Amino acid sequence: MSSRGGKQKKGNVTSEQEEEEQPLQAVLVADSFNRRFFPISKDQPRALLPLGNVAMIDYTLEFLTSTGVQETFVFCCWMSNKIKDHLLKSKWCRPTSPNVVHIITSDLYRSLGDVLRDVDAKNLVRNDFILVYGDVVSNIDVSQALQEHRHRRKVDKNISVMTMVFKESSPGHKSRCEEDDVIVAMDSKSKRVLHYQKTQGLKKLQFPMNIFQHGSDEFEIRHDLLDCHISICSPQVAELFTDNFDYQTRNDFVRGILVNEEILGNQIHLYVTQDGYGARVSNLQMYDSVSSDMVRRWVYPLTPEANFTDQQGQGCTHSRHNVYRGAEVSLGHGSQMEENVLIGRDTSIGANCHISNSVIGNNCTIGDNVVLDRAHMWNNVHISSNVEIHQSVVCDGAVVKEAVHLNKQCVLAYNVVIGPNLSLPDGTVVSMHHPEEEEEDDDDEFLSDDQEVGHSKDKTRQKAFQLEVLGTLQRGLEENIVCDNLVLEINSLKYAYNITLKEVMQILTRVVLEYPFQQQGTQLTTLQYTGSLLPTWSPVFKNYIKRAQDHLDCLSAVEELFLEQDTHQTAMVKVLMKMYQLEILEEEAILKWFSTGATNDKSRQLRKNQGVSTTLQSLYITARKALCGERDCFPVRRTSVCGTVRPVQTPGLNTEVFLSSSAPEVYPVVERSRG
Amino acid sequence: MPGADKEADLTERIEAFLADLKRGGCGTGPIRGSGETARETTALLRKVTAQARWSSAGDLMEIIRKEGRRMTAAQPSETTVGNMVLRVLKIIREEYARSRGSSEETDQQESLHKLQHFVHLKANVIEAINELLTELDGTTDNIAMQALEHIHSNEVIMTVGRSRTVEAFLKDAARKRKFHVIVAECAPFCQGHEMATNLSKASIETTVIADAAIFAVMSRVNKVIIGTQTVLANGGLRAVNGTHTVALAARHHSTPLIVCAPMFKLSPQFPNEEDTFHKFVSPHEVLPFTEGEILSKVNVHCPVFDYVPPELITLFISNIGGNAPSYIYRLMSELYHPEDHDL
Repeated sequence: MSSRGGKQKKGNVTSEQEEEEQPLQAVLVADSFNRRFFPISKDQPRALLPLGNVAMIDYTLEFLTSTGVQETFVFCCWMSNKIKDHLLKSKWCRPTSPNVVHIITSDLYRSLGDVLRDVDAKNLVRNDFILVYGDVVSNIDVSQALQEHRHRRKVDKNISVMTMVFKESSPGHKSRCEEDDVIVAMDSKSKRVLHYQKTQGLKKLQFPMNIFQHGSDEFEIRHDLLDCHISICSPQVAELFTDNFDYQTRNDFVRGILVNEEILGNQIHLYVTQDGYGARVSNLQMYDSVSSDMVRRWVYPLTPEANFTDQQGQGCTHSRHNVYRGAEVSLGHGSQMEENVLIGRDTSIGANCHISNSVIGNNCTIGDNVVLDRAHMWNNVHISSNVEIHQSVVCDGAVVKEAVHLNKQCVLAYNVVIGPNLSLPDGTVVSMHHPEEEEEDDDDEFLSDDQEVGHSKDKTRQKAFQLEVLGTLQRGLEENIVCDNLVLEINSLKYAYNITLKEVMQILTRVVLEYPFQQQGTQLTTLQYTGSLLPTWSPVFKNYIKRAQDHLDCLSAVEELFLEQDTHQTAMVKVLMKMYQLEILEEEAILKWFSTGATNDKSRQLRKNQGVSTTLQSLYITARKALCGERDCFPVRRTSVCGTVRPVQTPGLNTEVFLSSSAPEVYPVVERSRG
Repeated sequence: MPGADKEADLTERIEAFLADLKRGGCGTGPIRGSGETARETTALLRKVTAQARWSSAGDLMEIIRKEGRRMTAAQPSETTVGNMVLRVLKIIREEYARSRGSSEETDQQESLHKLQHFVHLKANVIEAINELLTELDGTTDNIAMQALEHIHSNEVIMTVGRSRTVEAFLKDAARKRKFHVIVAECAPFCQGHEMATNLSKASIETTVIADAAIFAVMSRVNKVIIGTQTVLANGGLRAVNGTHTVALAARHHSTPLIVCAPMFKLSPQFPNEEDTFHKFVSPHEVLPFTEGEILSKVNVHCPVFDYVPPELITLFISNIGGNAPSYIYRLMSELYHPEDHDL
């Protein structure tokens, strides 16, 4: 084809012809860069998971080939060897295939952005190309969209960079993925995208005024679009991804283009199809929907009996009510395959089974009296008698023993054996792999039931953060840094270590209170302990302790610390009073903490400590007095406090409240705002 | 090596053809009409005969059978492919018998001393296939030539959906006669619209009616002329859906039903093969995707074909003349050899 372009004729006609004769290229990203199919995708990459007994990437390649693509670049990251093996054995790598497949693997890809940057770096695409993921199932004929795209670029001098393909589908349809739900404002005549927003979880939507002022008199706001994840991109797309390093997904790109429209002048257009079918299997919910659509022949001509992958022995017969049976399937007496059932070859089904809306793989054995409804079973699964499976996925090699009842949305991963007489609740995932750290919370129903794993990682982070805070405070003391700057430093450490505000405050309290121990050893007397730490750093505290809950958290941190430091429990009183005086803590909070929170014996003992109780009593009186508006000085009482505490003169402030041998110090009454 | 190149080329063409068959349209008719499919199949078989390595008639037949099985498996409802394979097999048998100077003996013998006829056999077979191709090219014209015998002035003719053969038939008659055509639109693919547009461009008075009105209008109709996808071995039809309705209505009003079908559509299949008889396409023609939630609660089917039993048909018009449905068995035995019926 490119040899014909060698004729050097003048005029635009030749270059157009050359363009038309350039082979249509496609970029297929065979990795989804997320873990929605974990733990199934730990053993097998998502692109090779079977949908209707055919690997998902085969659907995508068939879609590309039938729409006229002649050169495809498949980018693999996770388990690329398996994908490569599969493709080399498939019909697309035969020499007679009209679509030439190049497989590019790298472990460094972390997102769609990385793949496109690689495309740009390697200069793989010369012309407009189609961008899809490896799990897109579609029968849309993109040539119309491609024509419109090329026409737009020719007319408008390359302003339009991308055309996204959407399918018209009303909001309730089950093949609409909730996470991908978008609302799009577009210009009706030119099909240009004016506003693009994901609607998941949003109850209100806001539209910027500039979409109404775009100079066109007809525009639509559409919520009836199903994202097919098929895009026709111009070569500029790859360049734009290289220029903007923070574009990771197509969403980022679209937003970036829309936001920077005045500066760069690029536009994105839409193509909405009514007739074709296109959907991406982005999570297990979509897997269920797309699989059932495929069995109901919505993706014609990619149907199970068509055997479009040309594999030996893969063909099946299509009977009424969408029942497909592979070769050598044996059905026991009294069993019914009710409707929308696909059974792979060499599978044997026992007696009195009832199967509906299910897909069963090759070489499976199913016992008697089994009820399968919306079950997806892959190859080599062994199911014993009296089992019921509802809306679940059972992966290769699993064994389900007698009388097991799988409720909705369960997943049995590879080689799992489930014992007899068991009923799994909704949403259970059983896998042979030990749950590791970063388990993602699945937003949809397929929840994973191991959540405690995050803690160990958290503790290391907190330890590191604690050390850093200590270092900061030390430096602050040595170099006399202003408290504001200390707050700034602690905030940046918070982001670096990903610590929540509550933890920041607790760790800060702990660090400050432990500081004298670290400086002067643990043999400090209580007196020496209650040093001048707090005043210097009180603004820092005040920055973090603002709400009532923060006070309680701080108090619990103090309590925790003093529970550990048995010898200095008496000092807790001092600390509390000091904090109260420094306006770090409010009396209400202290009283509340005292009256509630005694969770175990030790903390109860702590509270019973006389000093604590008397302190608090006096606090209580203050509180009441302040309520009544009396501006009194703090009553000085002689009470016996355990331990001998001598007044310590601290710069600036009198910390000794209860013991004063001298004349009563007039304690400055602090005006507090009651609120 | 040029030999290997040619083989690769041939394989590529066959693969492309198979892929086309598999993707064969969405019920709006295959990407190519039956005639084109027949021509393409025959051309491919000619190429196979010319390029494949075979040393006796038996070998060649085996090769052709193998290719034929692959092609019919790609799209079982497209019977013209299988029909052409059977025709070629029959040609090989005839040429073999002729070259041996006798008629209709067992052809599977691969006796060595027949090798000398090999060269002539190849040339003869290829020539016969060329004749077949010429015949295929002329079928539509042959059928259209018979139009004047069947259509008279001021007649009202009804037809269903779109058939290129019927279109040519009516256009040919319109050159000399004035008549009126009623076209049933044939939902859900609604190909009747296209047919009506084409007929009216040829200055034929055309009316389009909905399928529900077929029975109501039938009393005014003089003749029903339809096309079909396949003519089955018992004389029945596998035609586009809606044809059975027309046939029943015609029988009720005793209106003659004429089927215009070229000979390559005649298939040795009987209508009792449940699984391969039908072709179901995407349900979006019946209930579009935009219907939303209801689609998950409802089973929607969109069949493409209908079966019309032979007793409802009056006459078959093919490129070799008009025949009654009861005569089909005879035509079949002339076209195909009984041993080949099961590829």
